[in-house]
Amino acid sequence: MRQEAIGKERWVVGAELPSLAKTLSQEKIDRYARASGDFNPIHVDPAFAAQTPFGGTIAHGMLLLAYLSEMLTAAFGQAWLSGGRLKVRFKGAARSGETVAIGGHVQRVQEGHEGRRLWCDVGCLNQQGEVLVAGQAEVKL
Amino acid sequence: MNKAIDALETGHQFSATSFVLDEEAVARYLEAVEDEALPRLAQAEGKAWVPPMAVAAMALRSLMEEMVLPAGAIHGSQELGFVRAVEASERITCRAWLSHRSQRAGWWILAVGMEGTDESGQPVLTGRLTVMVPR
Repeated sequence: MRQEAIGKERWVVGAELPSLAKTLSQEKIDRYARASGDFNPIHVDPAFAAQTPFGGTIAHGMLLLAYLSEMLTAAFGQAWLSGGRLKVRFKGAARSGETVAIGGHVQRVQEGHEGRRLWCDVGCLNQQGEVLVAGQAEVKL
Repeated sequence: MNKAIDALETGHQFSATSFVLDEEAVARYLEAVEDEALPRLAQAEGKAWVPPMAVAAMALRSLMEEMVLPAGAIHGSQELGFVRAVEASERITCRAWLSHRSQRAGWWILAVGMEGTDESGQPVLTGRLTVMVPR
């Protein structure tokens, strides 16, 4: 109980979420395709993907969202699984070989009778600093 | 049944689909996304939680079985609400509807609303996605 209370106090405006870094590979993209059933050739067929504007395969957007969800689970635990909300735009493509940084910070806090509600700016960047995913997550603590 | 985009009108309801993520499928998903946080939480709480994004991914997969999307389709945006945590082996039924369809610069812009419910009909997931599809 006390630990939970301390955890809640930690989340003030500007507080950083526990960042992650993930290095993508074609093997990982293929593994995600098998786990999710999404075999769109833009993800898994290098010959097809080479002829698209992307010039090669790209990671599934939902794989990047899985990374965001891992960060939000680490930060907020059960509050993310039950009651969490996410709204994002896919702004760039993540390619095999790239290292993706996943991060975020608390943007707004609202205290209410039902507890504390947080809005967090979240996103994924590649190693060039290009934004791949940007949006907002909401949890109620 | 697959639906060609040309034949879809705003408001179209896709056929309901259902899926089950058993513990093996959850393990395969966790390995694929290298999620270390969910297993720690599940172990601490003694629950076989399904990662919320795995539920969303399976809901999208079942939706894609209903739509014909050409290979160049791009996922533009995603909204998700996780109403409650889902445990392994729960059956989830997914309903989806076309909430918007327009054309812009050689692309179809589609917005699809969706809801996942448990066996008692209670919502576990809500969502909305946009997809850009070359015409």
